[in-house]
Amino acid sequence: MNKYDKEFLRKLANQLMFDMTDEELENVQAEFVVLEKQLELLEAINTDGVEEMIYPFEAPTSFMREDEVDNVLSVEDALKNAKTARQDFIVLPRVVK
Amino acid sequence: MDMHMMKMSRVATEMHAREALEKAKAVQPKLNAMVTFCEVDEQLENLKNIDTNAKLYGMPIVLKDNINTKGILTTASSNILGNYIPVYNAHIVDKLQAAGAIVIGKTSMDELGMGGTNLSAATGPVYNPYDLNRISGGSSGGSAVMVSSGVVPFALGTDTGDSVRKPASYNNIIGVKPTYGRISRYGVIPYASSLDHVGYFTRSVRDAALALEVLAGRDDRDMTSSYLPVEEYTAKATGEVSGVKVAVIKNIMDMASDELKTQTNTLMEQLRAKGAVVEEVTMNEDLLKACLAVYFVISNCEATANHSNLDGIRFGVQYGENSYEDIMTKSRTAGFSTLIRKRFVIGSFGLADENQERLLRKAQKVRRLIVEEMHRVLGEFDAIVAPASLHGAPLLDATSDQLSLEYLIAENYMCMANFSGDPSMTIPYATVEGLPVGLNITCSAFNEAGMFNLAKAIEDVTGLCDVVKEVL
Repeated sequence: MNKYDKEFLRKLANQLMFDMTDEELENVQAEFVVLEKQLELLEAINTDGVEEMIYPFEAPTSFMREDEVDNVLSVEDALKNAKTARQDFIVLPRVVK
Repeated sequence: MDMHMMKMSRVATEMHAREALEKAKAVQPKLNAMVTFCEVDEQLENLKNIDTNAKLYGMPIVLKDNINTKGILTTASSNILGNYIPVYNAHIVDKLQAAGAIVIGKTSMDELGMGGTNLSAATGPVYNPYDLNRISGGSSGGSAVMVSSGVVPFALGTDTGDSVRKPASYNNIIGVKPTYGRISRYGVIPYASSLDHVGYFTRSVRDAALALEVLAGRDDRDMTSSYLPVEEYTAKATGEVSGVKVAVIKNIMDMASDELKTQTNTLMEQLRAKGAVVEEVTMNEDLLKACLAVYFVISNCEATANHSNLDGIRFGVQYGENSYEDIMTKSRTAGFSTLIRKRFVIGSFGLADENQERLLRKAQKVRRLIVEEMHRVLGEFDAIVAPASLHGAPLLDATSDQLSLEYLIAENYMCMANFSGDPSMTIPYATVEGLPVGLNITCSAFNEAGMFNLAKAIEDVTGLCDVVKEVL
């Protein structure tokens, strides 16, 4: 299987909980061709012994915050944007029929 | 009028905010920059509790639509957030309002910040005031054109790759991305957390300095927010640059047209005349060429994870009904544009176990090497400068957000400052084929004072202060 096979890419999309049309997947395949050229530029750079840089500043946080309740979202606010809420819960379709 | 000059009576202030709102509505058919117009009555009423000497007293402003505003629609220009009404303010919204600012609207952006053209906004493209057939640039395009067209003197954006600094260049205004951690991101819808910054637009250096005095400062709700004290940037931006060392990136100048080279060289001569030490510096070409790839891989991988919370269940537009999987899949399929879903697939590909070493980890290693190369130059110089773009804003039908290798270095190098977190800004200085082009300035971390000071010297010699491009 080609690593940019349409069905493989569709599987990746479905794992992320969305669908893509055949035409959209062909578009992704075309973008991977350009991405491969980009990756060649990365691979040309010797990174032996180089650590990954995850964040701009790497100073460790050496303290812990006090265990105090702060910045609380009320239940009412937390449910305000949900389409269906009942009592203190967001309601979803039944899983067990 | 720029904002530091606006000290006026309460009545005049109220009129000014209302006039700005009316102007925003009047230019909308031409620029299409706004997603939501805000009510100002309650905000003006609240001004009575604010000291008239507050730094932004009565100032009409607009916010990019990825900044949470309590009770006001916040869509990030994505259909999936088409009905999202935040229940809290971003930290910076509280700070701006405490300083007297009046929010007159929320501005269009590339969907979720993931683009550089503003063509992907759910409400359609934003048009450039200098030529309505051209893009605003993105992703903070709506905010940029509101400042450029004179509706507001100050607007908020965000910058993950160059999303404030590139549209600033296209619109002949100032765009600032301060140091990572200088401004709290609490309440700002994320794109790529290790690269995201809050930024902003103004039309004068003094206003840019004043704005940071208001926006900067520690916020316990953003773990990356800095404890360093906020400086008096306005007082320090004198334009006195005697002995200031400036590195011009030769790799980028070599690609510039004669028209742009001439204007850049003239500006550098003027800075030398003020006592600055200006030299051309060659940076490692292989590392510069890799900037786009590093950005593309890291940002898409982080975005894929960050946006997994957009499920159509807890908030946002919901489709489907049979099961939670059905709801999530249909909501995310309909809620994200093709471009965004494509980016997520690429991000997911990069995060897959079998690809992580070759893509994400490799990109993160090269990120370190690029930052080391920047810091080699910043170890010898106070600032790195180069044109923010080699040309003005592209025509609407001649650009896209497809991955492109065209102008690989010159059009993508500014994301270096997102990799390093160093402060970076764009300031107007040139025209290419009649369109504005800005100069990018990058300094060492938390040296915003030095950056604004150099920018002030540039503004003094170009005279490009408070330039407005009217479209009415």
